[in-house]
Amino acid sequence: MTGTINRRSFIKMMGWGGVGTALGGCDVPTTVTLEEGKEDVVSYLMPEEYVIPGVGVWYASTCTQCAAACGTQGRVREGRVLKMEGNPNSSVNSGKLCVMGQAGLQGHYNPDRIKEPMIRKNGSLSLVGWDQALATINDKLNAADGARVAWFTGTISGHQKVLLNALLESNGSSKHYVHEVVGNKVLQAVSRDMLGDAMPKYRFDKAKMILSFGADFLGSWMSSPVHFAGEYAKFRTNKPRGLLVAIEPKMTLTGGNADLWIPARPGTEAAIALAIANELINAHNKDAAILPESVRNLIGQHSAESVAKQTAVAADRIKRLAQLLNERSPSLVLAGAPVEGQTNGYAATAAIMLLNHLLGNIGQTIESPGAFAFAQLEATTGGTADLIAFTQNAKDKNLDVAFFYGTNPVYSAPDALKFGDALKNIGMKVAISQFMDETTAQADVILPAASYLEDWGTHVAAYHSEQPAISMQQPLMEKLYETTRGFGDVLLALLQNKNKDKYGQYADYYAYLRHAFSAMPASYKENPASEEHSWNAVLQKGVIKVQTTDESLSTSIAEIDTPTIPASDSAYPLTLVPSVRLGLWDGRHANLPWLQEAPDQIAKVVWDSWAEIHPSTAKKLGIEQGSIIKVSSKHGEVTLKAVLLKGLHPDVVAIPMGQGHTEYGRFAKGLGVNPLKILAPEQEQKTGELAMYATNVKITDTGKKDTVVKIGSTDTQMGRKLVGTVPVEQVRRTEGA
Amino acid sequence: MSLENVLNNWSKYRRGAEEGGHHDYEHKWAMMINLDLCIGCNACSTACYAENNLAVVGKDRFEKGQAMHWLRIERYWDQAEQEFPEQGASFLPMMCQQCNSATCEPVCPVAATYHTPDGLNAQVYNRCIGSRYCSNNCPFRVRYFNFYSYYESSWPEPLNMQLNPDLTVRDKGVMEKCTFCVQRIRVAKDKAKMENRKVGDEDFKPACVQSCPTSAMVFGDYLDEGSQVRKLWDKYQVKMGPAKQDKQEPDMRGYRVFEGLNTDPSVLYLERVREKV
Repeated sequence: MTGTINRRSFIKMMGWGGVGTALGGCDVPTTVTLEEGKEDVVSYLMPEEYVIPGVGVWYASTCTQCAAACGTQGRVREGRVLKMEGNPNSSVNSGKLCVMGQAGLQGHYNPDRIKEPMIRKNGSLSLVGWDQALATINDKLNAADGARVAWFTGTISGHQKVLLNALLESNGSSKHYVHEVVGNKVLQAVSRDMLGDAMPKYRFDKAKMILSFGADFLGSWMSSPVHFAGEYAKFRTNKPRGLLVAIEPKMTLTGGNADLWIPARPGTEAAIALAIANELINAHNKDAAILPESVRNLIGQHSAESVAKQTAVAADRIKRLAQLLNERSPSLVLAGAPVEGQTNGYAATAAIMLLNHLLGNIGQTIESPGAFAFAQLEATTGGTADLIAFTQNAKDKNLDVAFFYGTNPVYSAPDALKFGDALKNIGMKVAISQFMDETTAQADVILPAASYLEDWGTHVAAYHSEQPAISMQQPLMEKLYETTRGFGDVLLALLQNKNKDKYGQYADYYAYLRHAFSAMPASYKENPASEEHSWNAVLQKGVIKVQTTDESLSTSIAEIDTPTIPASDSAYPLTLVPSVRLGLWDGRHANLPWLQEAPDQIAKVVWDSWAEIHPSTAKKLGIEQGSIIKVSSKHGEVTLKAVLLKGLHPDVVAIPMGQGHTEYGRFAKGLGVNPLKILAPEQEQKTGELAMYATNVKITDTGKKDTVVKIGSTDTQMGRKLVGTVPVEQVRRTEGA
Repeated sequence: MSLENVLNNWSKYRRGAEEGGHHDYEHKWAMMINLDLCIGCNACSTACYAENNLAVVGKDRFEKGQAMHWLRIERYWDQAEQEFPEQGASFLPMMCQQCNSATCEPVCPVAATYHTPDGLNAQVYNRCIGSRYCSNNCPFRVRYFNFYSYYESSWPEPLNMQLNPDLTVRDKGVMEKCTFCVQRIRVAKDKAKMENRKVGDEDFKPACVQSCPTSAMVFGDYLDEGSQVRKLWDKYQVKMGPAKQDKQEPDMRGYRVFEGLNTDPSVLYLERVREKV
């Protein structure tokens, strides 16, 4: 197909309460009789079955714009999907959707999608058919040693994961690398060790106070922004109104909404937490007996006064926080990316999460999510340790074939890792992708992926909310390009090559899903007598609620290594904060114009890349708003404009992630810079994750200036009552808050 | 023509002000935004782009102030004198306030902007000649002018397939603004009429209200005393109409931006609550 969309290809719609038709390439029986060559004039008097001209119908599906697995509904009118909203049946997002979910449409209808399979021959890509592309891959796979075949994906769950695991097994390979730049793998490791569950349930609704050490739960924390925003609303509307304190190097969206925001240099958070623990034990009689002796000693070494000297957070303030945590019970103490992203991030995170034990929050505001009934469908969450492991394996020439899907490591790997060089050692790189991103541009075989609005799938949220569920993904419209294929269909095609007996029976991934659903216990079916009815009911609801068996959290606090504060480097005096912009995320949404034009929530800048600097630091360096500066680490430099912001620790420079693409279509390519490129290749010692907040940088002024394009010309209200503010005491009196 | 409009609007407004209500409206669509729950995440704003065919103008035109964001989130720092904004930021979702005595209406030389029987401040695109008087006269700066034709730059094929067919794509020379998703209002009213009942809270929500992850926004018919939005206006003791608010409990939250200008906006904001630590 040449990329033109004729009327017929999008008027074809799915029926049956949303049961889609997108069966790879097959035509669906249609009630419209079309004369050859006259298909552009279809009268509305004879519409497709299930299409009511002018009437939009909402179909349930699942968002895959980040790993949260929010339930969605898409409005379909005359065969086109026009608007995405949240599915009220999903307890992940309760009918709401964030910027990224809203903008999914622009990925689906993006003008820069890859439409046909390609194979690299003598260095240049040429278009081929699917048969030839798959045959090339299968030939290579059949000849390859299974142990030298790797899959490199983003967070994955549901039946796609089941098929991928089956494929790995059939190859005799266990090399599945799961990579996400935005994730909380270190916190997950700490929770697993201290509580027996990597992702316990955090009950914001029960907490009277939240103390966040860089846990940007309204933005990127636990990769579920909509869910935690909803929880935050419960926390704030509780009586008494919840109190939020945030301690972090750069004001995140969460920090921007805190009652008290305290700037902290990355790496000093654990010391503050230990001083709070010290106060809780010594001034508020919290029972230290639950802690091992070594941990008690560690806490004993951190008095409020000594920590105040190290961190510039006043002793009075530390004491006040301890007092508040003691008074407002139960509370929640959370750790996020700046804490995890240290070379001793595990110890630092553990020191912070320890406060929950001391405060008696375990079992109160931190609960077990229970055991999910379908363990094989549960999410495998990504991190950066796998990026490093993969790079090493490729460097060591241990890989012959690598598949890439749902992640863009060539873009996200720091230059110092030399990921691009490592890739050259892999004989065949296969990218299953919607866009020509940096990784896909390096691939030898490119398989054009269907968009998530054209594909089948099942998803399980990594973070289990109130009602854990399997979230159904169904096509909301006919594929824009017939020559694209869903991820599940690609996996199935590869499996059929390996194991025809078992997988040959499925015509496509849809048939596989139907089979998988029919094999589920009768209790999951609305009408066990009718398979068809039950399936349609599930698609209509969009979620299959899954029973969990009650479990309780264990509380075992082992030794905690002393979290040392990173030494400052006089040649590189500042710390780099690669911040997450809720929208562009890790760079995957840089090709969506709505998100480029949506201002950064805190800096309010659009389209560009910029470095956020505290005015006092800028003054010292002679830098003004809009100065073009060089931010250099030992591993590279980026040149961009300075934005002066007070919501920043004076010793850090924050650069939002997401820009600086060298590929990725007309909207993203060549815009801004990528801070990930200049990160030091330091690793967190215990988990092997990339220490993303451990890069020291310096700033040099180039003497040039440029305008900062942002929303609003004034930063203050100029004495007008635009955003009114009242003290909580007043609201307690008038509204009982 | 327009003088008559001005006089009609004015007398309607005065009647509302003096008698405390807008009883000659069929509906009076209104909103309540709780700034204590607004986290400034942009979900509403992006939902508006998707629903209302808003053009993406690009960096250069954004710089010139030509962005078409019908609903924008303003962010203010309230502690200008301090080294760090320890109280956090102040976020304000700002869209057309659908004023009852709108300053944009009487200045339109061609009556392209007028008041509907639903109490909405409507813009007739076909009638607009682009004088921009209305935008000049709007204290909220929520009217957006099409300085260019954005069709090709904003929606290169097949992005145009996403365009909502329930409303137009505005062309060069036309003023546009938030409509409270009038296309959704119309569908809901038609449906209710077919079913011979009144439009209720559950019939529809504007795209912004629907998307808000913290449910900070509430929308409904102010004239319907059972509606959630009316109950909230009553709870916070803010009345639509009177030039001067008379709160029984003066400390109760609830205000309208630029109340003193007496444009009688239809959007009630609740103050952000702050706890001093």
